[in-house]
Amino acid sequence: MKISLKWLKSYVQLDASVDEICRAITFLGFEVEQVIRTGAPQLENVFVGEILTRAKHPNADKLSVCTVDVGSAGGVKTIVCGAPNCDAGNRVPVALPGAVLPGDFTIKQAKVRGQLSDGMMCSAKELTISDEAAGLLVLSGSPALGTPINAVLPAGDVVFDIEVTPNRPDCLSHLGIARELSAWFKQDLNYPEVTFTPNAADPAPREDLLKSVRVEAEHDCPLYTATVITGVKIGPSPSWMQERLKAVGLRPINNVVDISNFVLLEYGQPTHAFDAKKIGGQEIIVRHAIDGEKIVTLDGKERVLNSHMLVIADATKPLVVAGVMGGENSGVDDSTTDLVLESAYFRRQSIRTTSRKLVLSSDSSYRYERGVDPHSLEEATHRALDLILEIAGGKVAGQTLRIGADVPWQREILVTPGFINEKIGFEIPEADIRAALESLELSIVREEPTPERGPAMTVSIPSWRDDLDRPIDLVEEVLRVYGTERIPVSVVQAPGLVGDDDPIVLFNRKVTDQLVGQRFHECVNYTLRPQKELQAWASPTAVAELALANPFVEDQSHLRSSLIPGLLETLKLNQSRGVSVSRLFETGRVFVERDGANFECVAVAFVIAENPADRSWLKREATDFYAAKSLATLLASAAGVDLSRQQLQPVTQAHRGWQEGQAAVAGEMQNGWFAALGLVDLAMVKSLGLEGKVHAGVFAILPEKLAAGGAHRRYQPFSLFPAALRDIALVVDQTVLASEVQKTLAKLARAATGNAFSLETIEVFDVYQGTGLAEGKKSLGFSLVFRSSERTLTDDEVNVAFQKVQDELAKTTPYQIRK
Amino acid sequence: MQDQLTALLAKAQAELATLKQRPEFEAAKARYVGPNGELTALMKQMGSVPKEQKPVIGKLINETKGQLQTLLDAALRQIETAELQAQLGPAIDPTLPSPDSGAGTSHPLTLVREEMCRILRKVGFTVVEGPEVETEYYCFDALNTPADHPARDAQDTFYFPDSAKFGNVSKKNHHEKYLLRTHTSSVQIRTMLKGKPPIRIVSPGRVYRRDTSDATHSANFHQLECLYVDKNVTVRDLKALLDYIFASLLGKDTKTRFRPHYFGYTEPSFEVDLSAKHLPKVNKEWIEIGGCGMVDPTVFEGVGYDSTVWSGYAFGMGLERLAMLLYGIDDIRYFYQNDVRFLKQFA
Repeated sequence: MKISLKWLKSYVQLDASVDEICRAITFLGFEVEQVIRTGAPQLENVFVGEILTRAKHPNADKLSVCTVDVGSAGGVKTIVCGAPNCDAGNRVPVALPGAVLPGDFTIKQAKVRGQLSDGMMCSAKELTISDEAAGLLVLSGSPALGTPINAVLPAGDVVFDIEVTPNRPDCLSHLGIARELSAWFKQDLNYPEVTFTPNAADPAPREDLLKSVRVEAEHDCPLYTATVITGVKIGPSPSWMQERLKAVGLRPINNVVDISNFVLLEYGQPTHAFDAKKIGGQEIIVRHAIDGEKIVTLDGKERVLNSHMLVIADATKPLVVAGVMGGENSGVDDSTTDLVLESAYFRRQSIRTTSRKLVLSSDSSYRYERGVDPHSLEEATHRALDLILEIAGGKVAGQTLRIGADVPWQREILVTPGFINEKIGFEIPEADIRAALESLELSIVREEPTPERGPAMTVSIPSWRDDLDRPIDLVEEVLRVYGTERIPVSVVQAPGLVGDDDPIVLFNRKVTDQLVGQRFHECVNYTLRPQKELQAWASPTAVAELALANPFVEDQSHLRSSLIPGLLETLKLNQSRGVSVSRLFETGRVFVERDGANFECVAVAFVIAENPADRSWLKREATDFYAAKSLATLLASAAGVDLSRQQLQPVTQAHRGWQEGQAAVAGEMQNGWFAALGLVDLAMVKSLGLEGKVHAGVFAILPEKLAAGGAHRRYQPFSLFPAALRDIALVVDQTVLASEVQKTLAKLARAATGNAFSLETIEVFDVYQGTGLAEGKKSLGFSLVFRSSERTLTDDEVNVAFQKVQDELAKTTPYQIRK
Repeated sequence: MQDQLTALLAKAQAELATLKQRPEFEAAKARYVGPNGELTALMKQMGSVPKEQKPVIGKLINETKGQLQTLLDAALRQIETAELQAQLGPAIDPTLPSPDSGAGTSHPLTLVREEMCRILRKVGFTVVEGPEVETEYYCFDALNTPADHPARDAQDTFYFPDSAKFGNVSKKNHHEKYLLRTHTSSVQIRTMLKGKPPIRIVSPGRVYRRDTSDATHSANFHQLECLYVDKNVTVRDLKALLDYIFASLLGKDTKTRFRPHYFGYTEPSFEVDLSAKHLPKVNKEWIEIGGCGMVDPTVFEGVGYDSTVWSGYAFGMGLERLAMLLYGIDDIRYFYQNDVRFLKQFA
């Protein structure tokens, strides 16, 4: 909102500099977004002068040499001038040596093409009072020679563009801001003198002007008033008013419209003037619009209304979108002689809905939305009437018609200086507390002593301060006026930590440290993803469940179900920029659909890309599934999940995004977590425009499954006797998983050893397929380690057990022992 | 005999020095000192040596045996050295680059977040987390945001369809909608409802606004909030915390100031400005960095805390904004593009 300093000064004496006023506004709680200066700045050494003679410059075609009389400021000077209108007899601004013109341009005595010049005659643009640069500013009205120029030029103004917080609708006006500044600078606030007084004995307005006012929507319009003024003369508003409106960015229209705008910006109270002739049937009806009803608003656009929108209508048609904008058909024009002045209180939610729905905002709707004080309505109306009668003439014809009631306002808050000081943590003297409250017109109406906290003050809250309701609200008022810059410096009082960080935080830290240590770069990608991308990674049900109701842009319409697509996007971006990149990771939330419900999971994922275009003088082995497995195992262990003890299953078609036969999954959310790892679908990687293969891995877990702290560990004794090793190779179908075979083998080995000794470990040491084996078969070599905790094993007893294993294998399994 | 021994020694000396392989060596060793070796054969001739010469010859044989062993040891050492040497490749060039990628890096947002958490942990704050999908109650109602507040509009906040179900995000009221949290303040509510005062937490996390993306706005960004609830917490304490945080993070020359402001969940409320002209690309005296205030009594009552007993403060700020300030980054989108040339700069 724009606030003019000149305008403010008509209510409060402000001698401070613009910077100080800016600071005051800032510390009162209003952000100053911009300070705009208009008109002539304060200029030293610039005077009124008259050109006495003009002669052509001997050395320059376009220059003239003039003699200029600046009277008492120094007599006759010789000045070289390039302006076309430096004719004898013109009185113009003359900047003498020492003057500093806007733009830090210092005037000095100087030679111009060999001719001495004692100063400079100025254009309007050079003085920044307008953009007129074609010639010298010729001063009208023969001002006395030697008069300082600021005495002749219209004074400039300073306009503050201020952001008013939503709790302070009272400050969407010059009086509101003036009140704040009066408190800050400890100056009186001078309200405009309002003289209009309604006469209770007046009759109702003439029926040919305004027969009736009816409010059919009392809920959205609790108070409506209409006053008839007859015999006005429409014309331009006075220049002082135009100047003020222009300063804050409004275009003057005519005297009546300008007055309405002026009062709006003065009091923050919207009013609206109708041409009485244009009110059909001389009836005003405040009602909801009919669905589909149309109105052409003052901005020339046709608006289609609906039944939630409030309109001011006549007998046949809507005249105004209530509180938002008037219609073209009912406004005041040059031929208007009789007015109906509307002042009303509309419910803010109603105006807000309408304004949003129509995408139409105005100074009026902006204020109604934030809350207009219904109790100030009458005073503002009277102010408008005063100005109309004074400026446009005419007279008020009959009683103001008033529908609805102004519920009397009364609010008091009880507060003590002790309470205020307890809340702020330092002492503001009682006298300063009183002064701060009173300066904001928060009058202390009663006081009673309390034993410890100073006097209990009953503070009366004015009607425009609906935001003040509790003692704590007054703490802020006092602190604002006292000055937040005066809060004393102190040291943080810190007790010991009361708890550990969230398990999610600990998990993220751990996996981040591990992956950074493994030469991965951490990425951060957007959570909201395009539908198409999600379809490549999640089931159709999940895609449907993860959709937002109101996406902002099409390519950010769904929650991510995986971190990998974002990492692939990052790979692509880097590749396309010619930046070599291979190892990336991300931590963050993903959303997993299961049985029709979504679950927010904590996740970590990595990618390892091998771009054939990346060259190196020394070749490394290509990465593979098992490298991804090792990393995924590491990440899962950070969450307390031992992936080496979990059954990893090859991916199926249901696991979107992965290359069949080259990737695996585990967990599948059965216990609140899942892991997936391996080669990313080759076709998809290619379709993304990525070069080379990408291996990836992801681990995700429900936050509630990330228990704080690990399980208690206990020492397990281990044997110091030597081990006995036996190897065995089994020929099995290629599709059989090693883990299955190992499990069977381990079971048989344990059965064979019984309680005599134990199978300590069993490991795959060889996988073979090809020559010597039947088609579709593979050989798995296992190494078994037997050990006793009590003695050295003899070859014989191990052989007996091992033979038993082989016999059982032959008897109970389809596996063949490879000789 | 003596000549034979001398000849044997000379032959061994010549032969053993030329041996390169272990099998050759083993064969040679057997030939000289093995059970069927030449020295053994000579020793067997001791029986035919006249008695008076025996001590002399015996001594000579022993000496020869010792010398042979020395020669064998030397030959073996030579072979072992050659074997080790054979394991080596050509000499390295220490100036060639490693073909393995360079060090990994944490994202600048992670670095700033962790640094802030570290600073706050020193003064008793523990780090908490909460869901990014939230409900109207935790994101708005409990924070004293009226039902008709513009921030709740579908124009500004991402909502999920009424039918959406989130299995592990609890609702307070059956009919309320799921949404993407617009601030991390919802974590404060969840923490207060779950625990008991005193509370001293910091909640960093991702938040969402329905906003156009440009150099300073992003569809999701990150916030970091502090909440302190205890008896007799004051505005002065709040100011002390902010002075401490920013002096720790940005250096002792950093100043903060409070400007009165308005937030529904704090009273009084302030915006926090920083003065840190020593940072790169800072050309303004004061830079807005976050919002704060004393927890509004309505918020306390809403979570069942007696506002006449408990008081507290809350502070929140954008992590991207802080990282941009700290590192002199001028476009928020760089954080989400992850150009590796960008990522490598902050480790």
